[in-house]
Amino acid sequence: MSRFAELLDDFFYRPDEDVAGLQDFAAGSDGTQASVPEEVPEEYLAFRLEGECYAVPIRIVREISKVPPLTEIPRAEPHLLGVMNLRGELLPVYDIKVRLRLAERPPVVAGPEAPPPPRDARILVVRTESGPAGVWVDTVAGVVKLKPSMLEPAPPGLRSGDRDCVVGIGRRGPNLYILLDSEQALEP
Amino acid sequence: MNPGSKALAEFVAEATEILDALGKDLLVLDERRGQEADPDLVNGIFRAAHSLKGLSGLFGQERISRLAHGTEELLDRLRLGKLRLDDTALDSLIEALDAFQALLAEAARGAESEPLTRRVEEMTARLAQLGSPPASAEEDPLDRLELDPQVRSVFTEYEEHRLRENVRRGVSLWRVRAAFDLSDFDKGLAELNARLKPLGEVISTLPSARPGGAHGIAFDLIFGAQTTTEQLEAGLQGTPAELSPLVVQPATHAAAQALVRAAEPVTAAALTRVDSPAAPAKKGGKKKGGRAASASTAAPAQQPLLPASTEGGESTSDGAVAPGDALVPVSASGLQASGGTPVTYLPGTGVAQRVRTVVTEAPGTSTVVASPVRPDGDTSLRSLTQTVRVDIGKLDGLINMVGELLLIKANLQRLAESARQDGAVALSKLFGQELARETRGLERKLEALQEGLLEARMVPVGQVFDKLARLVRRIAREAGKEIEFVIGGGEVELDKLIVEELSDPLMHLIRNAIDHGVESPEARLAAGKPRRAVVALRAEQKGNHVVIEVSDDGAGIDEQRVREVALTRGLITFAQAQEMSRRELLNLIFLPGFSTARSVSELSGRGVGLDVVKNNLGNLSGIIDVWSERGKGTAFHLTLPVTLAIIRALVVGVSGRTYAVPLNSVLEILSVQPRDIRTVERREVLDLRGQTLPFMRLARMFALPERPVNRYFVVVVGLAQERLGIAVDELHGQQDIVTKPLGGRLQSIRGISGATDLGNRRTVLVLDVAALLEEGMALERRRA
Repeated sequence: MSRFAELLDDFFYRPDEDVAGLQDFAAGSDGTQASVPEEVPEEYLAFRLEGECYAVPIRIVREISKVPPLTEIPRAEPHLLGVMNLRGELLPVYDIKVRLRLAERPPVVAGPEAPPPPRDARILVVRTESGPAGVWVDTVAGVVKLKPSMLEPAPPGLRSGDRDCVVGIGRRGPNLYILLDSEQALEP
Repeated sequence: MNPGSKALAEFVAEATEILDALGKDLLVLDERRGQEADPDLVNGIFRAAHSLKGLSGLFGQERISRLAHGTEELLDRLRLGKLRLDDTALDSLIEALDAFQALLAEAARGAESEPLTRRVEEMTARLAQLGSPPASAEEDPLDRLELDPQVRSVFTEYEEHRLRENVRRGVSLWRVRAAFDLSDFDKGLAELNARLKPLGEVISTLPSARPGGAHGIAFDLIFGAQTTTEQLEAGLQGTPAELSPLVVQPATHAAAQALVRAAEPVTAAALTRVDSPAAPAKKGGKKKGGRAASASTAAPAQQPLLPASTEGGESTSDGAVAPGDALVPVSASGLQASGGTPVTYLPGTGVAQRVRTVVTEAPGTSTVVASPVRPDGDTSLRSLTQTVRVDIGKLDGLINMVGELLLIKANLQRLAESARQDGAVALSKLFGQELARETRGLERKLEALQEGLLEARMVPVGQVFDKLARLVRRIAREAGKEIEFVIGGGEVELDKLIVEELSDPLMHLIRNAIDHGVESPEARLAAGKPRRAVVALRAEQKGNHVVIEVSDDGAGIDEQRVREVALTRGLITFAQAQEMSRRELLNLIFLPGFSTARSVSELSGRGVGLDVVKNNLGNLSGIIDVWSERGKGTAFHLTLPVTLAIIRALVVGVSGRTYAVPLNSVLEILSVQPRDIRTVERREVLDLRGQTLPFMRLARMFALPERPVNRYFVVVVGLAQERLGIAVDELHGQQDIVTKPLGGRLQSIRGISGATDLGNRRTVLVLDVAALLEEGMALERRRA
């Protein structure tokens, strides 16, 4: 990206900005859809962590951001990667790989020793009970629609550590999605 | 924010405003306990209770509405004179105010607790039964007042009550008649009211029976004067008002009779009083002429028609007072001629009738009473204030927006700079210069915008002071102390957020002053001090800071006892105590868990007072300092920044990271060679002009990779008497920063108070100096 484009980056419209209100509005205008007895698919946002495919309900995702410069917080819990400034708003950014036993220790992504972030890495800004929070993901895979019949409970053989943050498995064709409870995943 | 919570926030804001007004009026009543209550105040409180009832009903706040209803009813009885405002009634009202505040706090949280509901229920029941009946009068004093029944019939119940009250008390009653031009009569009337207010009570304002001319309108104000006639006349100079007395018939009581007699000379003087020179020239002149003729024939001794200068007025009244009763007939004739209210001792002469006669004599007077009502109604729709209430969150949002704009401006500046440096292309250079110029203009405007927004957040500290004044009376009563509470500098302005956060610390300090600082009245007398202790709360602006002083003239702090307590509680070691100066000993009172109070009172002395105060102040980047002298008193000085929204910060670098240190807590900056750092009992200290300065390396404290440097910069920070040197690698200069709180999920982070943006799209953390200092001191103590 050229320097000009970089400086002007903040001004560009991003399709993944918060448009929940509009969507609600659009959904409400379609009166016939509600009466259809067929099962209503729910939309999930799928993303990858260390090669595994995870998904969270799209309604809890406020937006997806490129990785901005992160500022580390001294003496914070290890899974708190740092804070980011998103259009003036201060957001904590968390690592959930350690929680999911995908990594031994969180990556160094903030501070002067951190390497530049991988091209595909993104921050998911999710809504939580105690305010918005950023979650580091290796790459965003896309939006998947999952009907209730495609969902399965979490298999009992799952590694014990990530048990309570995995709420189930979504199966669509050949793809498997591990469905996460974001509140649980953000706990230290 | 959803619509429900927004409505609730609106309700809370509005109700708070009402309660503030109510509290202010109650405070005045409380201060004048034992005196005759100012009816305006009672009426004001009644109206506040009434609005609160309506408002809470509108928002479905049942409990508040019910209590407001009870309070309103009590106040209604009070203002109509069905009850006397005695101490019990006043205490109940104050208690009700407390209950309202508690209810409102719960409403704001969306909670509804059982004990409070019960308390409100009890209180409502109590209010209903409250009050001692007033001394009953066998006869209605109003009947003794010469007043046309028609006029009397338009009085409201309240006005009638006030009139009766004034007659009963023997206040001299006046009819103040004034004509104004239709175009701006509201202003004129308001001015007249303002002039009259300090002189007595305006009981009722009625459209006058006298014509106001084609473009004029006249009013009759029924006025109970608390001053002498001369003062009244002097007070009304320059207004188009004419005075005429309302006569109270000789009552059955001898006292009342004497009163009427006393009023007579007054009557005479007032009747011949001339329109002010400021009155409309054409009409005034004519009237003067007319009156001059009749008055001079009737009473050549009086010179009422001299220009209404001060001397003229005085001589008139002097002349009138001296002759006494003899002048009465004169005044009556003078009155008729001038079209004023006729005054007579003869019973049964209808005032209104007389007036009507006069009216018919005057030409062009077909519209008399009906017309004034409508314009009056129109003007009352106009709002009295020009202020807009804004949620502080919105202002925060705007301030943040300006912060963002400043960053964009910085980017533009960089673009302009790089275009200018790019000298190869002439066009680009020109473009860069142009852009740089425009950016400078933008910068200036942005700064003005920022300043304006900061100003909009400022509120006078008096807001808190008034609330505290109410509290002081209660605490003093409960503690059995006699306190004179002095407030100063209430007009000094501070950021709204700071003012809000300040109320709790100030409350603690004042409670401490009353509970522990001030001696009992007996002890004070024994010590040769006046019985009443003085507790003062003063604010003063000093540059970019505001200093608030909470002082008392009590016993002072016993530093030996402080030392004793600190030792027994294990807060300091014996060796430490040996070395401590008096100031250091005094400052031990700010340690957590410290309290010298022998008895734990309801209000303070639980040992949570001063350390909480200190912490709260630290959050506001404030500094607290204590001064005390045995037997003379204690004073706490709170130094606060004027605003938190934008502060000046020192930008420092440690191990490649950047941090901002609020400049208001930085005392000085030293450059230190590693060999200057000494180790005393394994802790690092610096020798600063012969004093030992505790010292810590920020990199070590924050567990950052330490880099070898050949010299440190030591930022000496201080809060209260505590000093600490914080070693950093680099200094990057000073900058104004907009601090954003870490908020939500990050509240438990130690040593960081917020974050800011320095314009390079990188977030920089702001150090919480108070917390770091605390930490440094805790380490010291543990090692010691």
